Amino acid sequence: MSAPLNIREIEWGRPPLVEPNPDAELERWARESGAPRIYPLRYFTRCPWLARSMVKLSTLDLAHLDHELADVALLVVSRDNSCRFCYAGARVLLRVSGMAEASIESLEGELVTAELEPRRRLGLEFARRLSRSNPPPSATDVKALREAGFSREELLELAFVTAQYVVINRLTTLIALPLERLEGLDRSWVIGLMRLTRPIIRRVMGELKIRRPPVFLSAEEKSGPFATEVIGLDGLPAARKLRQILDEAWSSPILTRRAKALAFAVVARGLGADRVEGEALDLLTGEGFDRSATEGVLAHLASPALDPVESAVVPFVRETLWYEPAPLQRRARELRDLLTEEELLETIGFAAYANAVCRLSLALEAIG
Amino acid sequence: MTPALTLLAGALLVIAALGAWLWRSRREVQRLRQRGEATACNLETLQTSFARFVPNEVIERVITSGVSPGAERKEVTALFADLVGFTALSESVEPTVLVQILNGYFECMSRAVSDHRGYVSTFLGDGILALFGALQPNPWQANDAVRAALAMRSELEGYNKELSDQGLSPLAIGVGLHRGTGVAGLVGSRDLMQFAFVGRIVNLAARVQDLTRVCDADVLITEAVRRGLDPRFVLRPMEAASLRGIEKPVVTYCVERFESESS
Repeated sequence: MSAPLNIREIEWGRPPLVEPNPDAELERWARESGAPRIYPLRYFTRCPWLARSMVKLSTLDLAHLDHELADVALLVVSRDNSCRFCYAGARVLLRVSGMAEASIESLEGELVTAELEPRRRLGLEFARRLSRSNPPPSATDVKALREAGFSREELLELAFVTAQYVVINRLTTLIALPLERLEGLDRSWVIGLMRLTRPIIRRVMGELKIRRPPVFLSAEEKSGPFATEVIGLDGLPAARKLRQILDEAWSSPILTRRAKALAFAVVARGLGADRVEGEALDLLTGEGFDRSATEGVLAHLASPALDPVESAVVPFVRETLWYEPAPLQRRARELRDLLTEEELLETIGFAAYANAVCRLSLALEAIG
Repeated sequence: MTPALTLLAGALLVIAALGAWLWRSRREVQRLRQRGEATACNLETLQTSFARFVPNEVIERVITSGVSPGAERKEVTALFADLVGFTALSESVEPTVLVQILNGYFECMSRAVSDHRGYVSTFLGDGILALFGALQPNPWQANDAVRAALAMRSELEGYNKELSDQGLSPLAIGVGLHRGTGVAGLVGSRDLMQFAFVGRIVNLAARVQDLTRVCDADVLITEAVRRGLDPRFVLRPMEAASLRGIEKPVVTYCVERFESESS
């Protein structure tokens, strides 16, 4: 999908899907973790692991990839997905980092016509292709990237960063986070003032952008749900981050593990991520759901074997495969009559992470 | 005038000239930038408009590599819908009224298709060819396509009420569906090209639609569609029929309704 010229004309649900629910303890933890407060946590606090994951995803812990490429990829992916919240956020981020308005504008049209050095263009095209996954990047794409000078580790980090944006775009769109305070901020006097204090800002942002040391997973961290994808990132800070988020998500008591595994299986079937589908089926078998029952659910997204919550979750996650904000937001609103707010948030969280892990898996296969 | 004053006046003149030059250059840059932005804006508006005729992915491919004969083999479900008795209708009403009726009809049918993740590929006279699974892989395409056909049926009921309020005769449709593999790509001559899906499945869907005229059914599906269908769809098996251009008799099913738990 290609975003129309004026992203602000894209229909965006109002009011947000859920009521804000301030949680002082969680907000304090977020402050102490040193992560920038980009996303309004109060909309996610009814599902604590999801709120904590938002904090974790608001930093880029990179050991190899160029930070600027990762920042620009947020703009490109969010614009391609027409995610107004993330797009506005990416614009502010790039303006504060000192990128000229003209440079940002050149990225907002077609990538092929943007003024970009070839290596960067290839990197951004990889991110956009992975986010769309229609079709996902191939081994040929990866070969071109390697020839352009990308190391394997850089590509793995770019794939993880893109998966990170896949999650953030879906969460902010499905919740329909309020745009009023963010849109237009990039052109306001506040940014002008920030430009005067750029040396200080650069220092603060520079601290956030320090290259992280390699991270190697322990034996314990190499097991758990979707271990193959986590192990695929071993050696990068992203691996531990993903492991922690998935473990927390899996141990949350809101939805049953069966519903969570079904969410992953449906997204994997839709995207053709066979490895993730296999892992999800193993998890379902572990939960006592036999293969033939699962196959029935995956064939028609419905089954008498599903409980009422699962019957709502399964067809909904299928809607999150391809990105169109207005229909996505409408489908999420339809769920409000069927689920509690906690269940609704966790369903959205699992849909977002299932999309990210499946795309990551497809990228790992291509990168090899 | 002292040499110092002369020097100062000269310096001021140079500064003024430099200032004027800078000011003009800045204005020129601004003008060029505005023109560039306007051109980019026009291009994207054009791209957005083209998206009504051709999928976005194809437009991007054309921008990147020009009009090239790139094509892909895909598994899709084709839905072919046609108005029953259109020829008689076209001869009985004024041309402007006819176009109005057709536009309203296409609007309703297109909505039914896009609400179920389908893509309207072509309007052929009063016929509609819609594809499911053509733009994005869709393992649930059979269910989506049959749901869309049922939605067309109910949209038409609503539209017929509107027509009846205007004193016009109601419309009736026949819908045929078939699933299979074909080729999607840009086809045509150097002067006229279009994004199209070609293959036996489109012809077969159209032939199955023809069958609705002789059967007591408005929505007919083939065995290939039935195989991927949710068992909650209530089907009525029809007698195998010979179709023009198709070797073997084709088994079809009439779709009666979808039986959800609540119904």
